[in-house]
Amino acid sequence: MDRKKISKADLGRWLDTIAGKYELIGPTEDEGIIQFGPVQSSAELTLEYANSLIPPKSLFFPPVESLFAFRKRGEEIQLEETKPLQQDRVIFGIRNCDVGSLSLLDRVFCDDLEDSYYRERRERTTLIALACPTPPRSSCFCTTFGIDPLSPAGSDILLTDVGDVYLVDAVTDKGEELVALGEGLFAPLTEGEEKELQPPPVDMPQLDVRELRERLEALWEDEYWEKLSLPCLGCGICTYVCPTCHCFDISDVGSTSDGVRYRCWDSCMYSDFALMVSGENPRPTKRERTRNRYFHKFSTFPSRYGTGYACVGCARCLVHCPGGVEITEVIKDISAKEGVSDR
Amino acid sequence: MEDKLQELVVELLGDGAMEYFIGYRQGFEPSHVVPCFVTDKSEADRLIWGPLCLQNLSKYVLQARDLDGKVGLLVKGCDARAIVELVKQHQIERDKIVVVGVPCEGQVDPRKMEQVLGVSMEQVTDVEDAGDEFLVKVGGEVSKLGKEQVLRDKCFYCKHPTSFDYDYTLGEVQPFTIDSESEEYDAVEKLEELPLEERRAYWLKQFERCIRCNACREVCYGCYCKECIFDRTDPRWLDRTPLPRENEIYHLIRAVHLAGRCIDCGECERVCPVNIPLGRLYKKLQKDIAELFDYEAGMEYDTVPPLVDFELDDQDPFL
Ligand code: SF4
Ligand code: SF4
Ligand code: SF4
Ligand code: SF4
Repeated sequence: MDRKKISKADLGRWLDTIAGKYELIGPTEDEGIIQFGPVQSSAELTLEYANSLIPPKSLFFPPVESLFAFRKRGEEIQLEETKPLQQDRVIFGIRNCDVGSLSLLDRVFCDDLEDSYYRERRERTTLIALACPTPPRSSCFCTTFGIDPLSPAGSDILLTDVGDVYLVDAVTDKGEELVALGEGLFAPLTEGEEKELQPPPVDMPQLDVRELRERLEALWEDEYWEKLSLPCLGCGICTYVCPTCHCFDISDVGSTSDGVRYRCWDSCMYSDFALMVSGENPRPTKRERTRNRYFHKFSTFPSRYGTGYACVGCARCLVHCPGGVEITEVIKDISAKEGVSDR
Repeated sequence: MEDKLQELVVELLGDGAMEYFIGYRQGFEPSHVVPCFVTDKSEADRLIWGPLCLQNLSKYVLQARDLDGKVGLLVKGCDARAIVELVKQHQIERDKIVVVGVPCEGQVDPRKMEQVLGVSMEQVTDVEDAGDEFLVKVGGEVSKLGKEQVLRDKCFYCKHPTSFDYDYTLGEVQPFTIDSESEEYDAVEKLEELPLEERRAYWLKQFERCIRCNACREVCYGCYCKECIFDRTDPRWLDRTPLPRENEIYHLIRAVHLAGRCIDCGECERVCPVNIPLGRLYKKLQKDIAELFDYEAGMEYDTVPPLVDFELDDQDPFL
């Protein structure tokens, strides 16, 4: 569909119409942190944000979710399935790094082993992406991984702030349906506007990752990992704030006769993550765990799924790691190392 | 002071007096300071010191348990309390550690600074200590901020800004004044005044946000158990699911386990990615411990934390 525009004053009206028909989710601010959450009206949303702390992956793969409830009466076992969604949803304001992360998570949850909870949430959600403010945060490095903060790829609609209006690119049928809901609020661009209303180009440092995987794979036994992991505390922040991390744990809460099976996030940075019943732990120290995290992002995931790197450059781990383990430094360090060690 | 520090570290590494040194370096942007592990003399020039060197590095000394040699580290007076406690609690021998004491004239709370300045820390390119105030550089402009506006909570009531126990020291603290009327336990007392149910509701609302990343535990000097109760799977004392009731128990257990040992370093609150005001919870514990047992953790070597101590004639009507 052709590019349209919507005035800033009308944005709220459009979103409120959407909220009448769908569950509307967008960025809100509470206790100083930006989170994506459901809202009743557009007035609850904030537009003053770079990105959310917890990535919107949490809306598809929640930090904790019930899979089903079980009850045992005598010999009879009853199972009650949990419905992941009550209503179709619209997520407003997602950034392109996070849109990119969803296409990676799709491979994990919807390829050969399908996760019905994730898939239902994906299918029943329409994404309205919001192009990033320029300049972006100094920490962002999404373009390193081929993500364009100004592209509609992967979302249903892209909105771009160009002053008084937003440019509107609806690129899927789901996106067009939403635009149709806002009848009278959208206008086509005049020829002059097509040229004039352009967002400033995105300027951010780009790291060279062309040989990252090969160089990394040559470093399996390198002493680099020991040194890198010294400041790591083994908390789970880097994985919990990462839009592409997707490990989970499953547990039954309640009693053996009445309970709920839950799934919750887990982290490969925890010392007991790889611990087996036998007592054997293939990743016994921080060295192996830190190495695993980077190998998974830059080698294991791409080779398992045939994708690009499993990092979208959102910089959340960079900003929030309390030990100061900086992924951008890791990328530079690896790229600077000659293939020194034998594998 | 940075020169002096770097020279000292080069010297100590050269002598083989320690295997590595832990200090601070600048991270990905000027206002972002992170721990720096110097394993080689050539890296000593990365070490910095200033009002944004927030981390309490003391927990890292536990890594020396696996080393033949010692580890050295830069220690603010407040962080030294963790070392005192770790030694007292028999987690590490004092002679495995080389303590380089640094005179600290107060640390900046980045969240407060962002509020006062109205800009994000990413735009702050320099913060310099200037006695009663900080000189803060934003976009080439320098502004003065009174310390009372932006200091970390714990710095208002700091009892020894330089460690009393050190192997080397970088100098003495220059006296400065903080223009503030508030008292150490103000925030706690305000909460204490609330009726029980409201107080509970306040904390439950805070804990609800917790994602159970465990960062508050991992960063805490006092959480050193080989197998934490939260990680036990057989029996499973507490589920890993971040449900409200599990979160509540998580925080209560951690609080009780730290009572009498918490040294008010503020690290748990600082690292929490969802801004849970854990400092207030732990301040309450410190207040109770001070009132009930007249004890303050980490202040001297020859006392024992009250809740790990016992006497044969203790009353034990519940046993
Ligand atoms: S790398 Fe950083 S965020 Fe990740 S576990 Fe280690 S200390 Fe925590
Ligand atoms: S920058 Fe860090 S948090 Fe963001 S996608 Fe990459 S690894 Fe994950
Ligand atoms: S650091 Fe914060 S979010 Fe993480 S477990 Fe502790 S309180 Fe919860
Ligand atoms: S509980 Fe928090 S303030 Fe107390 S010692 Fe542990 S990390 Fe520091």
